[in-house]
Amino acid sequence: MLKTIQKAGQLAFELPQRWLDRAFGNTLNPLRHLGALTIFFLWIVLISGIWITIFFHTSVVGAFESVEYLTIEQWYLGGVMRSLHRYASDAAIVTVVLHILKEFSFDRYRTARWFSWVTGVPLLWMIIPLGITGYWLVWDQLALYVALVSSEMLDALPIFTDSMARNFLSAEALSDRFFTLMAFTHIIGLPIFLVFSIWIHVFRITRPKINPPRKVMVGALASMLALSFVYPALSQGKADPALVPETLALDWYYLAVYPLLNYWPPATVWALLIGFSLLICIAPWLPPPRKVAPVRIDLENCNGCERCVEDCPFGALEMAPRSDGKKYASEAVVAENLCLSCGICVGSCPTATPFRTRSALSPGIDLPDQTVATIRDRVTEATEHLEGSRRLIIFGCTGKNKLEKLIDAETAVVNLTCMAQLPPSFVDWVLSRDFADGVVLSGCAHNDCQYRLGAKWTEQRMHRERDPQLRKRVDVEKLAMLWTEPWCDFPNTAKAIAAFRDTLSAPYKISDHETSTPVKTRKHRLRPFGAVLAWGLFAAASVVFTIWPRFSQLAEGNAIISLTFSHAGQRVEECRLLSQEELNKLPPNMRKPSDCPRERHPVKVLFRTDGQVQFDKSLAPSGFWNDGESTVYYRVEIPAGTHELYIGMSDSGREEGFDYTGQTEFTLAEGQHVVVEFDHLQKTFIFR
Amino acid sequence: MTLLEWKPEYCVGDAAIDHEHEHMIGQINTLYDQLGGSVDAETIEAVLGEIHADISAHFALEERLMREASYAEYEDHKDDHEDLLDQIHDLMDSFYADPTEGQALLKSQLSSWFGRHFSTFDARLHKQLG
Repeated sequence: MLKTIQKAGQLAFELPQRWLDRAFGNTLNPLRHLGALTIFFLWIVLISGIWITIFFHTSVVGAFESVEYLTIEQWYLGGVMRSLHRYASDAAIVTVVLHILKEFSFDRYRTARWFSWVTGVPLLWMIIPLGITGYWLVWDQLALYVALVSSEMLDALPIFTDSMARNFLSAEALSDRFFTLMAFTHIIGLPIFLVFSIWIHVFRITRPKINPPRKVMVGALASMLALSFVYPALSQGKADPALVPETLALDWYYLAVYPLLNYWPPATVWALLIGFSLLICIAPWLPPPRKVAPVRIDLENCNGCERCVEDCPFGALEMAPRSDGKKYASEAVVAENLCLSCGICVGSCPTATPFRTRSALSPGIDLPDQTVATIRDRVTEATEHLEGSRRLIIFGCTGKNKLEKLIDAETAVVNLTCMAQLPPSFVDWVLSRDFADGVVLSGCAHNDCQYRLGAKWTEQRMHRERDPQLRKRVDVEKLAMLWTEPWCDFPNTAKAIAAFRDTLSAPYKISDHETSTPVKTRKHRLRPFGAVLAWGLFAAASVVFTIWPRFSQLAEGNAIISLTFSHAGQRVEECRLLSQEELNKLPPNMRKPSDCPRERHPVKVLFRTDGQVQFDKSLAPSGFWNDGESTVYYRVEIPAGTHELYIGMSDSGREEGFDYTGQTEFTLAEGQHVVVEFDHLQKTFIFR
Repeated sequence: MTLLEWKPEYCVGDAAIDHEHEHMIGQINTLYDQLGGSVDAETIEAVLGEIHADISAHFALEERLMREASYAEYEDHKDDHEDLLDQIHDLMDSFYADPTEGQALLKSQLSSWFGRHFSTFDARLHKQLG
């Protein structure tokens, strides 16, 4: 089941990845830099946010006006910054979602990788509220909706005694102080946690890719800029608590959950969100379990050269003081819970060379389930049947490629876990011992290695930029590295391999130690057009779900009535004056004239429209001692038109009748928002 | 007869490096002696393979120590290592193809490389590490 979903996910990714590989080349393919690209978008958000902050007024009146000023008067800079701020935030969600889906589909979240996976969940819980508070600060009609629904969500948590949503039901109720709080949360509070959490997110992996390649950054920024000029971000009319707009352009990337509140109570929505988050958190441990034996160190062959430690992409190796009494200072040690058994360290070990004989071939570090000695055996076996002068041996990786289809009288295939598992001396050995006339390394895309750095290290080792280096004497004309993902782009891989074979007519010569570069794949002619088109589509994708489909809070022809007030019930027992005798019994510092039991009666509220009961509840007092106010917050949709409204409330615990009542005939226009409040001084209800 | 001779002045001042130097020289001498006798080609290949692995590992360690000490002549020293590794591969090929030629090559190339490398590069390294 899980495998089927992952398989489907992989297929869904592979096709667009293949197209984009053609357009960008696989080192610059944005789909292979999703995590880093997200961080880059957050940079854009940060920089543009600083500009907006300078001009933003943290007040009820100023918030909307200052954003309008930026958007209209200062459109050439402030407006662009605002658009960048919004669209880059949306683009970040697009890349985050793709990032999650990709890591899930390609099974890069289990075993030792659980840490990065699980620490991604809090990141989501910070990014989404960042977006929400951002929309809130604009204080337009969408902001009002966001404010109301967010407060309803927060009110459902047992941390506030009073209703927060009440603040947003009338213009008078809202204070500037609130905007200061919101701005603090949005501009300082959440971003600090976000940066810290990103650091934790990449904490366990070595050499995390924080920035995408420069060309990818340029493309991303250009697409966001173009979008900002073509379709500037605008506010949706000043917030007016008395009116519910017919429809709103909702940013579905950030607010997709909010419309659910129209159908479900907040508690259900919370349960859904928390349940989903927990499911993601436990996903790495859900069956089927997958764990291959971690690498093992053989101290007889380890002198502590540290190459494996430098090459491990997952920080699973470290140096420790020598434990076997040999004269070396240190030795490599495996942190087994961090090891993904990719074998990249094995490929880095200077003692892992097939020039050693089979019986003696025990490198300093090796994979118990796929030793270097067995790879050596597999190469000799696989090449045994080869004939002719154009014999090829292809090394593949990840075990899911289709390279075996190419096996014939001239072609042998040996699959490894990761390409970097292959020590470079294997290439030398295969060619100099005449097992084949050419060697092909056909693996993951260069920047999208299943084990992060395998393709990169392999390429650097073969180019003699990284230890262990391919020996200079190897005729690199006989070596081809194809980072075309043969499981994804098999036809092109096969074509490239065939083309490489055609260059192999000359017999193998030990080269005269000249440096030359191993064969690379060709570039496509239409690349620039494809790249522009791809970024254009990405920009469109970043904006489309922020404006479409439009969302209406109210059914057509309806208006809305909110009951919203707090009122403290009367005390259950009256205060009683203490007698002198009783007072004498108390310690002197605790003597007070009366004893007042704190508990209050619940407040009973009944609300009717045209004689029909809409709300009838007994509201318990808040507080640990049941001594606080009772709070009513209730919204109901009714058809526009003239209605008879009636409300009754009792605070004395009486069974029948009410202590206070209010009644009025009210004509509601379509989309109008009427608030029913209680005036504590006059002890009357207000309808407005 | 010994091909290479270990001299106390070859010491670079790091216990591990000196230990390996001595060990390798011993290994190469053993090989050279074996070549004089009637040892089969397979054994020679095996010994060569071990020497190759040991030297590769030794260089890896020495290079690490040089990097850690920010040794100024690191690049040149490393290039010389790489040259020797190339030579050893050539040597292994020669033995594989024709053991007699291999023996001559071992004598002419390896001993001169070691003599030169020890007296120049490693001597300079001694000043740095020692």
